[in-house]
Amino acid sequence: MKKFFGTGAIAAAVLALSTTGYGFECAVKEGTMAKPGGFPERALTMIVPYGPAGGSGQVAGAMAEAVTGLTSVAINRDHKPGGSGTVGMTAYMAAPADGYNVLEHIDDASSAHALDSSRPNPSSDLIPLVISQVTFSQIYIRTNEDRFNDWPSFVKWVKAQNGKATIANVSKEGSMERVTMKFITEASGMTIQQISFDKGAPRYGALLGGQVDALFEQPGDVRKFLDAGEFKPILTIFDERPSVFADVPTHREVGMKFDPLLRFRGFYVHKDAPADRVKWLQWAFQRGYCQDSYQAFNESKFMTVIDSYRDTAGARELITRSVAQYRDVYKAMGLDVK
Amino acid sequence: MLENFIAGSGALFGDPTTIAIFVFGVVGGMLFGAIPGVSMLTLAAILLPFTAELTAAQGVMLFAVIYCTGTYGGAITAILFNIPGAPENAPTAFDGYPMTQQGKSGKAVGAAVLCSAIGGVASALIMMAATEPLAKWAIRNIGPPEIFALVFFGLAVASSVGARTIWKGWMSVLLGLLIATIGQDPVGGINRYNFGYSDLAAGIAFVPAILGFFAVSEIFVQAEKKAGGKYTAPKVSMSFPTIVELWLHKVAVLRSILVGFFCGILPGIGATLAAFMGYGEAVRWSKNKEEFGKGKLEGVISSETANNAATGAAMIPLLALGLPGGALTAMMVAVFQMHDLEPGPLVFYNSPDLIWIVFAAMFYANLSILFIGLIETKTILNLLKIPFQFLAPLILLLATIGAYISRGLVLDVMVMFLAGIIGFLLRRTGFSIPGIVLGLILGKIGEQNFAQGMQMVHYDIGTYFSRPICALLIAAGSLTLIVGIYKAFAPASKTS
Repeated sequence: MKKFFGTGAIAAAVLALSTTGYGFECAVKEGTMAKPGGFPERALTMIVPYGPAGGSGQVAGAMAEAVTGLTSVAINRDHKPGGSGTVGMTAYMAAPADGYNVLEHIDDASSAHALDSSRPNPSSDLIPLVISQVTFSQIYIRTNEDRFNDWPSFVKWVKAQNGKATIANVSKEGSMERVTMKFITEASGMTIQQISFDKGAPRYGALLGGQVDALFEQPGDVRKFLDAGEFKPILTIFDERPSVFADVPTHREVGMKFDPLLRFRGFYVHKDAPADRVKWLQWAFQRGYCQDSYQAFNESKFMTVIDSYRDTAGARELITRSVAQYRDVYKAMGLDVK
Repeated sequence: MLENFIAGSGALFGDPTTIAIFVFGVVGGMLFGAIPGVSMLTLAAILLPFTAELTAAQGVMLFAVIYCTGTYGGAITAILFNIPGAPENAPTAFDGYPMTQQGKSGKAVGAAVLCSAIGGVASALIMMAATEPLAKWAIRNIGPPEIFALVFFGLAVASSVGARTIWKGWMSVLLGLLIATIGQDPVGGINRYNFGYSDLAAGIAFVPAILGFFAVSEIFVQAEKKAGGKYTAPKVSMSFPTIVELWLHKVAVLRSILVGFFCGILPGIGATLAAFMGYGEAVRWSKNKEEFGKGKLEGVISSETANNAATGAAMIPLLALGLPGGALTAMMVAVFQMHDLEPGPLVFYNSPDLIWIVFAAMFYANLSILFIGLIETKTILNLLKIPFQFLAPLILLLATIGAYISRGLVLDVMVMFLAGIIGFLLRRTGFSIPGIVLGLILGKIGEQNFAQGMQMVHYDIGTYFSRPICALLIAAGSLTLIVGIYKAFAPASKTS
């Protein structure tokens, strides 16, 4: 277990990923679709509420490349970072609802709506074109850690520190990461100080350098550290063990009963966009998901470990369930849910 | 190391396509760095998809070269027109632009060219010699408490720059710190001072604030002079700094290399803090602090050496650990990934050829700054001959585009003009624009790291002093503050 992500583990992961790739079947059968009324006759604009180098920026780039490769329609990405996605969302809602503007967003849009219903609801104020990345979270420690080496020993060690143990996490209260950590600490009866890092690099550096004792993250974001044998997961927050992480217990297996919150990234269009254009965009983005380039991208990000694909109906179901979950949690936390 | 460097150089210059990409990166970085708003990040974002068509070594090398020359490029407009091409060039404007007004633009630009090259080359050499051990030392020993202490240390001298009195200097810094609190707080993501306006949740961006405080307020100042018949165009000076002048600043150069390198090596920090800290240290160690902000060559030298010294250093955590130090190095991660590579420990074992091509390219890119800079400088200085009535609208146009283009928000244009008006009024009353900008930029970095550090020490601030580097920096910063206050109350200072 100590060198879980050594060469053998990498080979196993690659094999597992390859198997997933072979088993992939595109849900959209139509390879082409006629442009309704000539739409789109110019480039689309994709508003991305985060910077180009992060997870959202990268998935936006990969999807834009796939859709352009499929349809020959160019997509200009307009990054509007800041405010945990609110700046980009506000800009998108103010943009013309003509189908030429699409939005990339993550589950933060759902949690924001759950807390404040005046914020756009991604499942009703927007039409999800496709959700193209769905992933779970894990808790990581350094591979060379000698104070604990698995989840039970970690919990035991944390409890012995009387609240002095630390875990690196994102900064925004009410986010998927923070809410999940709340579930975990309550279920395991431990107290751990969460250190807020809004950027990935300092967050991972804090674990690498021993500034914190553990890290909460999604596997695709720390894959290079897993492949290099620097980090290892000790807990998977998902209902079953993904084959790539077959040696890592799930939260349910260690006695936690909460439903896991998932990180998801997807693409949307305004609800008032013309229906025929929406239909074409749904085809383009859902078929874009099937493009080899996009599948290769998702594989490189551990995004084929579980089913990452949701069409419009599936996305609405995922969003609606997530919003309800977040709302219950926020109420339980005593937050002012509007 | 030498053998690997020669091999990297051979691979770089042994292929015409790679040479062409290198030259493109050098020239493109300089151009995009020099134009406000369209920074090297803009160029990198445009080029990102195209790097898929290049080899991995070519793609990463291109971005590394753009990083080196782009960091230098912004110095030219900072010196000549008070328009820093990027936040890391803002301290260069503190003294560079006053030098231009005094007819010493040639000296300022020449010093910027030379010191950018020296800082960059020195940084590249250290990077080649000790990437892995330095990266590991940095992440083990430098955490948020140390970064906060470093910012505190830097802020302690900020009041000395450019204000009429130390109190106005401190008021300026505090205003900058206050502006830095606009937007979501770094711990809980709670909105502050956004007045229900969602775009303000992202805070005040550096670029429009800097363009407003520097470029726009300067236009107002010069326009007022023009209207009053007091305007005199800056003299075009082609005289470069002499060898003796530069030799006299050897300590400042060495200090800025160390400061810039140290800041650059910290994940998530990068060249902006390096430039401000390099400038701050020049002020701290100077016997004539009051001369800073008024056209002191050492200010330009310190800032430009430090920001380029950060470029090689920022590659260290990226390549050795996979931790990018700033936005451009974060984009480099995407270039790696496009070629199924991940920066980090394995890249040294899996792709040593790539690493040494990049190292060699960064070394030569910094040398190119020297040669191209010296050749182009005399041409660029002639831009000062453009009459004010044509230059002012051009600068306003460029600044407006620059403010808008970085995030595509009208808010940023409004912020720029508001900063310009506030800057114009504050300058008339002896407040310090450099102090405000120092407060704004260091405040954002400092607050975030202070909050993280407090969480790490479980809100027991005394624990900060149990960390040696942190304690040393806080003690040194406190001493600077006490000395500064003492001098302000001393009889000699009162009368002056």
